[in-house]
Amino acid sequence: MKLLKEPLVHFLGGALLVFAFFWATGTGRDPADYEITIRETDVARLKAGWVQNFRRAPTPGELDSLIDQEIKEEIYYREALRLGLDRNDPLIRRRLFTKMRFLDNQEGVDDNPSDALLQKWLDDNPEKYTQSPFYDLEQIYLGQSAQQSIAATLDGLNQGTVKPDAVRKPISLPTELKQADASEIARQFGEKFVAGLNTIAVGEWQGPVQSGFGQHLVKITAKTAGKSPALDDVRQAVANDWRAAQTTRLEEAAFDKYRAQYDIKVTGRE
Amino acid sequence: MRKALLLAACSAALTISGCSKDDGSSGSDAEVTNTEYPEQVFWGDTHLHTDNSIDAFGFGTRLDTEAALRFAKGEEVTASKGAKAKLSRPLDFLVIADHSDAVGATKALYEAPRIALLGNEFLLRWHDMMHESDEGSLRVTAELIDGAANGTLPEGLFDPEESADRIKSLWTEHGETLDEYNEPGKFTAFHGFEYTPMPGGDNLHRVVMFRDGSDKTSTILPFASFDAGDPEQLWAYMGAYERDTGGKVLAIPHNSNVSNGRMFAMNKLDGSPIDEAYIKTRALREPIVEVTQIKGDSESHPFLSPNDEFANYGDAGWDKCNLSCSKDMPPESYGGSYTREALKRGLEFTLKMGANPFKFGMIGSTDSHTSLATADENNFFGKHSGNEINNKDRALAPQNLGTRKGRFGWHYLSSGYAAVWATSNTREAIFDAMMRREVYATTGPRMQVRFFGGFDFAEADTDDLVKTGYAKGVPMGGDLTGGGGKAPTFLVSALMDPESANLDRIQVIKGWIDGNGKSQEKIYNISWSSPDSRKVGADGKLTAVGNTVDLTQATWENNIGAPELVTWWQDPDFDAGQNAFYYVRILEIPTPTWPVYDALKFGLTLPDDVITIQQERAYSSPIWYTPAAATS
Repeated sequence: MKLLKEPLVHFLGGALLVFAFFWATGTGRDPADYEITIRETDVARLKAGWVQNFRRAPTPGELDSLIDQEIKEEIYYREALRLGLDRNDPLIRRRLFTKMRFLDNQEGVDDNPSDALLQKWLDDNPEKYTQSPFYDLEQIYLGQSAQQSIAATLDGLNQGTVKPDAVRKPISLPTELKQADASEIARQFGEKFVAGLNTIAVGEWQGPVQSGFGQHLVKITAKTAGKSPALDDVRQAVANDWRAAQTTRLEEAAFDKYRAQYDIKVTGRE
Repeated sequence: MRKALLLAACSAALTISGCSKDDGSSGSDAEVTNTEYPEQVFWGDTHLHTDNSIDAFGFGTRLDTEAALRFAKGEEVTASKGAKAKLSRPLDFLVIADHSDAVGATKALYEAPRIALLGNEFLLRWHDMMHESDEGSLRVTAELIDGAANGTLPEGLFDPEESADRIKSLWTEHGETLDEYNEPGKFTAFHGFEYTPMPGGDNLHRVVMFRDGSDKTSTILPFASFDAGDPEQLWAYMGAYERDTGGKVLAIPHNSNVSNGRMFAMNKLDGSPIDEAYIKTRALREPIVEVTQIKGDSESHPFLSPNDEFANYGDAGWDKCNLSCSKDMPPESYGGSYTREALKRGLEFTLKMGANPFKFGMIGSTDSHTSLATADENNFFGKHSGNEINNKDRALAPQNLGTRKGRFGWHYLSSGYAAVWATSNTREAIFDAMMRREVYATTGPRMQVRFFGGFDFAEADTDDLVKTGYAKGVPMGGDLTGGGGKAPTFLVSALMDPESANLDRIQVIKGWIDGNGKSQEKIYNISWSSPDSRKVGADGKLTAVGNTVDLTQATWENNIGAPELVTWWQDPDFDAGQNAFYYVRILEIPTPTWPVYDALKFGLTLPDDVITIQQERAYSSPIWYTPAAATS
């Protein structure tokens, strides 16, 4: 009789009973699928919804009809699922999609990352925080299109026979920048000019370098590499970026978990 | 929730351990060195909507506060409809101005479990429509705007008491995010909201912006117009905030162009005459006005300024009917709708009442509802997420949101930005510059504009214009009084945006009160490119600069116009006894409008009435002249 105590036997016995029931009734239905329970929490929810709309509690009669409505809705809901009405309905698909995504986003990001986490983020993403080089430079504006021979002018400037002011066209841009980084230079001269600085050597007049204003001759007197900042210098920016990245990562991870279970084929994509 | 708990724990621990959200690393304004005078112009948008605005969310925006800030700081983000979005250059500051009315409500409605709404047919219908399709969501938003304009929303729909908890937590969390992204000296994130009264569909909207951090702003809730639709009530709220917290706040009226003459009306909202208290309060609370944005330009109109051949910029589509298009706007109403006329009305008040309610500086901003502060023609993300850059129908489609009449996509401008001359990129310095009106508007390009007035400038002072300007005169937004009968002189410089087009000209726009007590205006061309070949005719008009736009390529050539214009000017028609204002308008050479870029990209044929070529511009804040005897 030891056998009767085995859980497996209980399980199999139970399953047999269910099959026997289906066989006997001929309906093939699982009774659990046809059980509807309205719990206290459901009633409380229905009441609360009523209060929100009507600013008073429902009368017993009103509560009864709310419950009847809930039951009726549940029955139609289940029958609709049995008929497969949820399939191929874009409205329902969309709502379920939104709801799933919303559920996944409930899992929040840690608001208080440790220094170690932030330091690791800083180390992993140096390009976001490393400063650009700092430039000391002088520039001569030549106008929108240079009139003079640039090669001769450069020679003259570098040999000291031509003074910068003799060739400079007037414009209210600084003639000299000290310890300016790429973003500061871009604000004043535009991105094209910053890109141009990378192409010229340090120490003598070079050019022309193009900006949105026109052409410039440039003498970079010093170029110091930007350093990687310490966490304390950029903590807020790192924390913001880290948090934004975590949110994205969580969303993607939640989706990937589902997606990995599917074998996806696409035909006809352009 | 987690944030709220953390905050509670922190404030409890604060007294003993100094646990603080601001751990010092993010710095404070005080740690930034201010320059001696405003050396640098800072660029920003004071009027941006995110997914917390009821309409923006309804239109489809799914980008939040954080995404909006990251985009403004120059990072690439993915827009709501999937396109990659990045600015050509970062902005220096941002005011997120979500509608205070039912802030966060559409997002909450959308995310609510359907079953919770079963008892409310009205909300359930909207909930279902929003989920059904993008079009459904747009219809909900249109109904919302319509309902708000016509007062037909069901009573209690956005009951402030019921939604107070949601708004409180949303506002607090939003403020904390702004503080996290505020980096004094590098990028300034302002707290703000938009107050949107719209009596009968007439636009009386204001952006409200704070100088303070969330320690102060979280003590209040954004002020809603559903309950208090008279701007005087907003000013009272602002006054109470300043008294209670020691903070500072200002309001920025906008879209006066669709106010049906009511933004700068000669009476109070209730029709009673404007009194001294109203004038003082309005001048104090509203030091600047947003003169250009996506929903058109409010500087002037050909009806008001028949002698101004550039007055029609950004008027098409916007001058016919009010914001909701529930009423036609007769041209007689334009006087209270456009800023130049308002400045003239201000002079009339000064003369009659000794004070000026309409003494404002001018800025531009986007009013974008996409969380993306874009104002460049070749990178325009539209008014709302239904019209982002990947929607090929957006230029030509009718825009009947909240309207039943035709405004078309191409009527919307890719405009504008706020330029602020401040001593540092901090909340304090930028806000204070706005209070003293040292600001100007542009329709997108970042040209640098300097404008100084004084009685003693000489032509040679243009050599060291800025230093002399501050030493011997006042900057834009300032006041000139007295002068001993001498005609005022002005120093003006305009430097092109190195990423945009050359400059056509500088104009001075003067408004004054003539001997009969009537206001007048005149436009002076004071500096222009190619002065050898371009002359001012007998009619006062200057030879047009030309046009290099190639519509088939959406390009132009900078081989006309000038990279910089600098000049000295003295008023040739000055009468020392007459109150006057002067502001400058800078015009770029012609460039293509955003629909031209769309046409090229999507292979569209634009109908003839679409404006394809424009001259982008900057408007400085005025400098006011007041005879010594009178006060301003």
